[in-house]
Amino acid sequence: MEQYVSSRNLRFVIHEMLNTAELQRFERFQGYDKESIDMALDAAKQLSDQYLYPFYREMDKNKAVYDNGTVKVHPCMRPGIKALAEGGWISAHDEFEVGGQQMPYTLLNACTFIFHAANANLSCHPFLTTGAANLIRNFGSPELNETYIPNLYNGDWQGTMALTEPQAGSSLSDITSSAEPVNGGEYYKIKGQKIYISGGDHDGVDNVVHLLLARIKGAPAGTKGISLFVVPKYRPEGDGLVFNDVTTAGIYGKMGQKGYVAAHLMLGEQHDDCRGYLVGQANAGLKYMFQMMNEARIGTGMVAAATASAAYYASLKYANERPQGRHPSNKDLTLPQVLIIEHADVRRMLLYQKAVVEGSIALLMLCSYYGDVSHQSTGEEAQNAHLLFELLTPIAKSYPSEWGIHAVSMGMQVLGGAGYTDDFPLEQHYRDIRVNAIYEGTTTIHGLDLLGRKLTMENGKAAMLLGQEIQKEVQTALTMPALAPYAEKLGKVGAGLQETLGKLVQTGMQEGPEVYLADATIFLEYFSYLVMGWMWLKQANLAQKALDAGQSGSEKLFYESKIQTCLYYFEYELPKATALKVTLNSSARVTLGTRPEVLV
Amino acid sequence: MKLLVCVSKTPDTTTKIVFNAAGNELDTNGVQYIMNPYDEWYALVRALELKESPLGGSVTIINVGPDANDAIIRKGLAIGADEAVRINADPKSALNVAFQIAEYAKQGNFDMILLGKETIDYNGSEIGAMVAEFLDLPFISYASKLDTADGKTATIQRDIEGGIEVVEVATPFVLSAAKGLAEQRIPNMKGIMMAKSKPLNVLAPAPFDELSVPVHYDLPPAKASVRMIAPENMEELVRLLHEEAKVI
Ligand SMILES: Cc1cc2nc3c(=O)[nH]c(=O)nc-3n(C[C@H](O)[C@H](O)[C@H](O)COP(=O)(O)OP(=O)(O)OC[C@H]3O[C@@H](n4cnc5c(N)ncnc54)[C@H](O)[C@@H]3O)c2cc1C
Repeated sequence: MEQYVSSRNLRFVIHEMLNTAELQRFERFQGYDKESIDMALDAAKQLSDQYLYPFYREMDKNKAVYDNGTVKVHPCMRPGIKALAEGGWISAHDEFEVGGQQMPYTLLNACTFIFHAANANLSCHPFLTTGAANLIRNFGSPELNETYIPNLYNGDWQGTMALTEPQAGSSLSDITSSAEPVNGGEYYKIKGQKIYISGGDHDGVDNVVHLLLARIKGAPAGTKGISLFVVPKYRPEGDGLVFNDVTTAGIYGKMGQKGYVAAHLMLGEQHDDCRGYLVGQANAGLKYMFQMMNEARIGTGMVAAATASAAYYASLKYANERPQGRHPSNKDLTLPQVLIIEHADVRRMLLYQKAVVEGSIALLMLCSYYGDVSHQSTGEEAQNAHLLFELLTPIAKSYPSEWGIHAVSMGMQVLGGAGYTDDFPLEQHYRDIRVNAIYEGTTTIHGLDLLGRKLTMENGKAAMLLGQEIQKEVQTALTMPALAPYAEKLGKVGAGLQETLGKLVQTGMQEGPEVYLADATIFLEYFSYLVMGWMWLKQANLAQKALDAGQSGSEKLFYESKIQTCLYYFEYELPKATALKVTLNSSARVTLGTRPEVLV
Repeated sequence: MKLLVCVSKTPDTTTKIVFNAAGNELDTNGVQYIMNPYDEWYALVRALELKESPLGGSVTIINVGPDANDAIIRKGLAIGADEAVRINADPKSALNVAFQIAEYAKQGNFDMILLGKETIDYNGSEIGAMVAEFLDLPFISYASKLDTADGKTATIQRDIEGGIEVVEVATPFVLSAAKGLAEQRIPNMKGIMMAKSKPLNVLAPAPFDELSVPVHYDLPPAKASVRMIAPENMEELVRLLHEEAKVI
């Protein structure tokens, strides 16, 4: 079995960086001590080794096919989904009363990371189901809960999120699928179409349940007129299931994730008999969806980071096996070639991969931890955790997605020609990871969210809290001679960012939102460098303390690798923030000033 | 039926084995431990299957070792054992382990005592036979199939050199499990969380004087790295095999 994840690193983040067992102070999480946490992580790894990893390449080679209205996926799908369901993973976060285990998100996400690194094209299915079930659990009626939740949690039925329409992708306010009440709202007649729906139809389950956004006839225009419906492919009637007039018009031919369907759905097209069941209040659909969206966004960041993780270990293995070339100082051609890991530039590429993967994991788990605290705590602690979670979500989604693409590309470069062939998994990782920067909001949309909303919410309180958290790490690092110079560097980038943001806000007030938001994506990149610098300093602080306490063997190497990757990050990556600062402070307004017709 | 399953811990198969400076103990820094797969996948799971059959009964797991072993023991409970016993000792020999297990088993009226055919670290295959001897019970080793209709007699298939042997034996007996006896079970989250509330009884060891103690371990010589020789360069291959590897 090839390595695709570092269990040691996950334990470092879960126990040493976050002390997840301390979440037991909340009654909901009683019993999640270190032993149970480790057992859960081990169980996740065992499941992945058995049901997920062996089929990663298989699912790509024998991709999903659309055949006369039905969608056939790889035969590993059904047992894989079932194994995860029976392991308790679809419902793990939920209450004991509905078969859940009240698992902290921090732990659940660490385990989910393992599943995704093994084979996200399969493991995304049960977790889509979890997302759909969450909407019903939080906002649905008791009847909807009773009908759908047991079938979703036992893995027999697939859940989906059906938002996108041909004219409404990034702009969900333009959704036009319609819903007409029947029998005073007993159910709604749904009409319209949805595109790119992940897991939207497949034969690895008995039924598919769409959590679908549509507009009730006569509802106000824009986001305030969108409602959420449960729309099953087969609806329960009497003792059986009847076809609910949800037709799959086709599945998309995709660059990657070929075993994981994105479906084009037609609603009420054949018989004018597609029934939807309203979830919660009318016209509150988008609000409900957005309450769950942050978790889905963290989930997307995890898929990206996990794919980059599998790619890193594939590259590392190759670099330790492939002899090629000699050291620049060695002119004797009769001597054997060295392994490519001996070349400094190959190590640079591996360090880049490691920096992206482990930096992303640290941030994703920290966000999950803030999520747990914000839900379980009260008062100021809950509010602060919520604000930090909100502020960091655009980075936790976009950084692994965007930088992950480069990390996998570097990983392919490590393999040279072999990386481009399908003898190795890198080409698949490269194709698979790309979409993460597109769905669950494009990187641009997250840039707009960060600059337009998150940094300014509650008079910039979230940004202030983040500043305090960064300062804590800077102060700790300043007490350690090996890390003090990096603490100073991070402090400088933080100050530069604050200054740039101040200027941007001022310009925005003078020249309007077009100018303020024009380079929001660049700002997100800039902000990401700061956040990742914080993540690396945080990890290095812990590693340095552990080394100072005395380590030997593989433990010593583990902590040394953390310090070394932190140094790499600060010497090779963080300086890139300076260039972005220059761009953001420029008054040339290049993109705004480029007339569309100039792009010939 | 009352079933006793003996479980031990071994380093994870990916562990790099390093010894302390004196060379007489494993350097445990950073070592990840797992339950010995032959105990877990085959002995324990088959015992659970028998308990879940119409015959019913209970499964107790036993480990001889320090409290650091509790995590491994809890995994056995998470997979489905009803209760666990840890004899709080730091045994230096297989004989001591077998003696402690036998001392406990004597009081338990167990119908079957199951354990893996060997641990994957020492590969000693000693404990089962010694436990049987201490208890004066039949010992069936390398079992790859175990059936019983009434819980009183069992038909057991044994893997032997070049084939299989089928034996019949009356309970109680001691059995060592080989591949095929059962299929690995991965604990589910419910089992993991319930494991906390199942009893793990810690007992003092019976007095025992070790007859032997390990004084030194040596690693096997490191494997030489692979050298690729182009297929058209057979002469070079022959030269290397003759002059460097000295095998022809
Ligand atoms: C494989 C796959 C699976 C998917 N799964 C699902 C699913 O399960 N459920 C679901 O509902 N949807 C799903 N989607 C849809 C996905 O969420 C959308 O594709 C995504 O939100 C982008 O919308 P769009 O494709 O319409 O692109 P557009 O919105 O047309 O965007 C095109 C470009 O314009 C930019 N842009 C758009 N608006 C602005 C703006 N206001 N300011 C600046 N730039 C802007 C974008 O950033 C992008 O670069 C999936 C998509 C894919 C490819």
